[in-house]
Amino acid sequence: MIAEIDVKAVLSRSVCEFHSDLVTRSTGRAVRNGIEAHLEEHPDVTVVVLDFSAVRVLDCSCADEVIAQLLLRRSAGDAPHATYFLVRGLDEDHADQIDDVLRRHGLALVAEERGGAPRLLGWVTELMRTAWERLASRGPAEPEELASDLAWPLADARAALDELAFRHLVIHADRRYIPLPAA
Amino acid sequence: MTALIEVPQSFDDRAFEQFAAGFVAAQGGSRALVDAHACEWASPYGLVALLCAGQALVERHGAKPLLTAPADREVAAYWARTGFFRQAEALFEIHGAVPRVKQPEESTVLLEVTPVRVAVDVHKVVDHIQDRAAAILTAELGLDPKATVGFGMALSEACQNIVEHAGTGGWVAVHAYTWRRRLGKRVVVIAVGDAGVGFRQTLAPSQAASFGDRWGDARALEAAFIHGVSRFRDPGRGQGLRGIKRWLDRWKGKMSIRSGTARIAMVPPWDDDVVLKDGLALFPGAQLQIVIPAAAPDARRAGNDTSDAPPARSRPDTSTAPPEAK
Repeated sequence: MIAEIDVKAVLSRSVCEFHSDLVTRSTGRAVRNGIEAHLEEHPDVTVVVLDFSAVRVLDCSCADEVIAQLLLRRSAGDAPHATYFLVRGLDEDHADQIDDVLRRHGLALVAEERGGAPRLLGWVTELMRTAWERLASRGPAEPEELASDLAWPLADARAALDELAFRHLVIHADRRYIPLPAA
Repeated sequence: MTALIEVPQSFDDRAFEQFAAGFVAAQGGSRALVDAHACEWASPYGLVALLCAGQALVERHGAKPLLTAPADREVAAYWARTGFFRQAEALFEIHGAVPRVKQPEESTVLLEVTPVRVAVDVHKVVDHIQDRAAAILTAELGLDPKATVGFGMALSEACQNIVEHAGTGGWVAVHAYTWRRRLGKRVVVIAVGDAGVGFRQTLAPSQAASFGDRWGDARALEAAFIHGVSRFRDPGRGQGLRGIKRWLDRWKGKMSIRSGTARIAMVPPWDDDVVLKDGLALFPGAQLQIVIPAAAPDARRAGNDTSDAPPARSRPDTSTAPPEAK
């Protein structure tokens, strides 16, 4: 099940209805708590789309609390199944902040900038990035198909896809690897 | 005995060193008189620094220091419009005429001198200024509209340094004006300051041991400003200054931080400031300044493509730095 969460709406509920800006660490914590509470209430959600379209300013501290800490806590928690996160509606500065905080933690995330194609933010290997970009453009694939597309040895294609799946950047179902926006 | 601290005639971040030296020299007095009667101009940095001094002097002497307001009526009126006197009343016994003025709708004061103590103050500051700042940055400075989101981020992170690290409250002020002598352009200047514990004390528990005898204000500023070190072990912490630097680099901006006896700066190509200075007069807390200059005319025509801009110097140029204090 996919859940789309309007981050501005969470900000309004958690902090103040008049704020449009995701600034300060304490605000970030409150918003992250709001998102986590929503996920607790909906345990069957597997894909979470965090929509930043209505957010005006996002600072580094808040990006760290909302995004990086959310991913870290979710991966360390005891959720009954994997949760896949996607961020949507980012402007260039939002994407910069999120990319930087994710890199600091060695994390990565699929992001859709306003009017732009999906891309990976944060830290991944070049092999993973190439594999993900190919998968995002062609759609779901098996390792053999990706290896053929990229003229890679099968072992490299499989390793890159497995790593992407392990880090919840693609969904692995049966033999196929599915990019998140297509999920 | 009342010790005199003179406010420089033109009080900005450079003239601040003269003021700080006076602040140190006044240590022996039982009370201080901060004399601004001859002051003809003060930048937001100067005004915020005055409040920091006031707070420190109250703590030093247990009584409000005296402050003489600028004798020039226009200067005093400008200070009043910046909201300075409203904040200063709590810290100084003010002498001289303090005009009552109303903020005009079209003002160069983007944000009056505003106290920052807790996170909600940072929200208020960003909320209050963002729309007006967007108009000034694009219409007056000719920056790409994309710059305005980063402006809010930079302002927020600068203010959060007070909330997270100062151990006390501080102030922020934002003005737009033409910087004739040093740049010949319109600029937006953000000044944030406090009279709190400063970078050295904040970082000492996690950093001092590894530096040994070399630990001091300059090392603390380098650790925070260049290496993104914070007092927390979490790698996600301490990234605010890095975020500001990244944004300023894109718009050829400048940032400097003074704390204790040292000052560090990210120096863009248009400026000749020294990256790291040590052995300065001891002044409490931390004072930060951000300068965002107008885009060059060709950059405005080309849609602000700054990709060919040389990167700002962000590492200390030790060849130009004065000898460190022993």
